[in-house]
Amino acid sequence: MNVAVLKTKAEQALSEAFSGAAAELPGSSEIRKLRLDAMGRFGALGLPHRRVEEWKYTDLRNLVKEVLPAPAASKGVSVADIEAALGALAGLEAHRVVFVDGRYEPDLSALVANEDVSAASLATLLDNDTSAVELLDVSGRDDDAVLALNTAYAADGSVVDIAPLATLDKPVLLVFVRASETPAFVAVRNVLRVGEGAIATVIEAHVTLPKAARDFQLNAATKVIVGKGAKLGHVKVALEAGGGVHLSNWLTELGPDADYAGFHFTASTGLARNQVAVTFAGEDARIDLSGAFLAREGQHIDTTLVVDHAVPKCVSRELFKGVLEDHARGVFQGKVIVRPDAQKTDGKQMAQVLMLSPDCEFDSKPELEIYADDVVCGHGSTSADIDDDLVFYCRSRGIPEAEARALLIESFIGEALEKVEHEGLRDALGELAHNWLRRIEPARSVA
Amino acid sequence: MLEIKDLHVKLADEDREILKGLTLTIPKGEVHAIMGPNGSGKSTLAYVLAGRDGYEVTSGDILWDGESILEMEPEERAAKGVFLAFQYPMEIPGVAGFTFLRTAVNAVRKARGLPELSTPDFMKFVKAKAERLNINTDMLKRPVNVGFSGGEKKRAEILQMEVLEPTLCVLDETDSGLDIDALRIVSDGVNSMRSPERAMLVITHYQRLLNHIVPDRVHVMVDGKIRKSGDASLAKELEKSGYAEYQSKAA
Ligand SMILES: Nc1ncnc2c1ncn2[C@@H]1O[C@H](COP(=O)(O)OP(=O)(O)OP(=O)(O)O)[C@@H](O)[C@H]1O
Ligand SMILES: [Mg+2]
Repeated sequence: MNVAVLKTKAEQALSEAFSGAAAELPGSSEIRKLRLDAMGRFGALGLPHRRVEEWKYTDLRNLVKEVLPAPAASKGVSVADIEAALGALAGLEAHRVVFVDGRYEPDLSALVANEDVSAASLATLLDNDTSAVELLDVSGRDDDAVLALNTAYAADGSVVDIAPLATLDKPVLLVFVRASETPAFVAVRNVLRVGEGAIATVIEAHVTLPKAARDFQLNAATKVIVGKGAKLGHVKVALEAGGGVHLSNWLTELGPDADYAGFHFTASTGLARNQVAVTFAGEDARIDLSGAFLAREGQHIDTTLVVDHAVPKCVSRELFKGVLEDHARGVFQGKVIVRPDAQKTDGKQMAQVLMLSPDCEFDSKPELEIYADDVVCGHGSTSADIDDDLVFYCRSRGIPEAEARALLIESFIGEALEKVEHEGLRDALGELAHNWLRRIEPARSVA
Repeated sequence: MLEIKDLHVKLADEDREILKGLTLTIPKGEVHAIMGPNGSGKSTLAYVLAGRDGYEVTSGDILWDGESILEMEPEERAAKGVFLAFQYPMEIPGVAGFTFLRTAVNAVRKARGLPELSTPDFMKFVKAKAERLNINTDMLKRPVNVGFSGGEKKRAEILQMEVLEPTLCVLDETDSGLDIDALRIVSDGVNSMRSPERAMLVITHYQRLLNHIVPDRVHVMVDGKIRKSGDASLAKELEKSGYAEYQSKAA
């Protein structure tokens, strides 16, 4: 790699801001060194651009022209504000852990640690726990510039531990609230550790207060370790509303016989990149990665998956459904690697979009890299418009055209939502999709 | 009253005339039947009444309650009381029957200036009607018509008709695909809706249906036109003689 690349203004700003920010960031000297190394890697890599294969359709260097400062101190965010911002998710019975502009807010949170589950603040652990370095460490993924930035800048996040054999009574809901009235850059790092045989659902919800600035930059990464025989439902809901940039990275490692269902619900983020990398570390594990993305105007939502079948007899399923209006753009990249040893792998992938305007764009790039011979793998991708005959059928029953179309789009999305096992959450996501299609904005209608 | 006046309809994207000067009047309170050979334009007439795209009315008019409906959107017609039970009901994957019915009923009520029904009221309203049509409420939790048998789809159409309370009911071959018991159940449903406020048009190939739903008038449609009209006995005649006589006339 040529190190002497011409730095863009944004890249320069990120490097320069780091020296100022570093002193404020939590962590021991060992962690400081980790951050500094990460920043060094970022300096060499720069922001990913279209000539980097995995970023072909999402040219970050071109899309992110400047770097936003740290958030303005937010004052007096109340539980009621959070409820309003959560909209349909507010009614969910959950262990709630709240972050405002990336900072843990114990007073707004309602997770009582018990023998089954705990959620600690990353900042606290980094400052006090010498073994915390592994929380930030992402070795093996050194070529990911966005992740390097996350390692360098992550100030806080949630470290959720679920005890072996525990079955959680309700989901853990990590709420990331955007409150800053000035455009801000926030980096969070979460770690989910699910003990052997445990069963849990963890939700990451990214929401916005009505007064928050339209513009924002979020860099969020979650490390997930699912133990032997454990079962995790992991759902991210991005509802930031506004023109901002949402960069998300999930790094999931599955033990033998583990069961992981990851789901991304993304609506109306200016620019979103949802990256999921799953590594099978033990045989007989199963993953189901699914999601729904809804974009209009000039919004751009990118889903990039890398599923690495490193061991035999694992099953992977991917189903992503998107709705694109106006001149929105959807990107789906699904890479499935089946290593030479990974015999009896069973992988299926599908991406489907409804293109509701002649100006929208969908780029789909499935990539199967199969090095084993006894495997069953398949992929597909479709893009279509709504079936006019069905629209007429609805209208002949008195349903106005716009409502008929919304109903049909909802049913299209519904097939992906079906993948969410938790019923209350599934219903809430259905309501969010329903509102999005009818342009009802939850945060604003309550305020 | 439904008044169809010298209606000429062609396919929108083909130069082919399907309805060739069709005239038909159905006063409120009456049930009329249309019989006719395959391809004579019966379903086309039904679709044009409901406002489906793909057809072009080149001349003539359709008045319902004295008002031309030709320029109205399908949903406006539904609000005015027009209902078509489809010859081939459509499947809507992912939309539960209850959701679909509630959306439709409330849309129509809103357009008619009536308050929306609350969910419990709506459920009561639908369940009573579903029971009479022998429709299991579990079926209504499933997506609209998906995985329904042919006969189940036809019964589901009648349920939609009953809950939407239309004043002009057009039934396109609702009897085909029904077993003997279902035919009776559906006919009872239709008969229970006969009222001085309602006009009904029943399209069928079989006289048997007309034993259950006894029509006030029977019309024979051949090649896009009504060729003969008569009372209920005309259906019995057709059963014996077929359409040969009318087809030669048309040619
Ligand atoms: N959308 C369409 N595109 C092409 N041809 C059409 C269309 N709609 C109707 N037709 C043609 O118009 C003619 C009349 O069709 P229609 O379905 O109205 O007949 P029908 O009387 O209902 O027949 P059946 O008894 O078989 O139901 C047929 O020849 C049919 O092929
Ligand atoms: Mg027909």
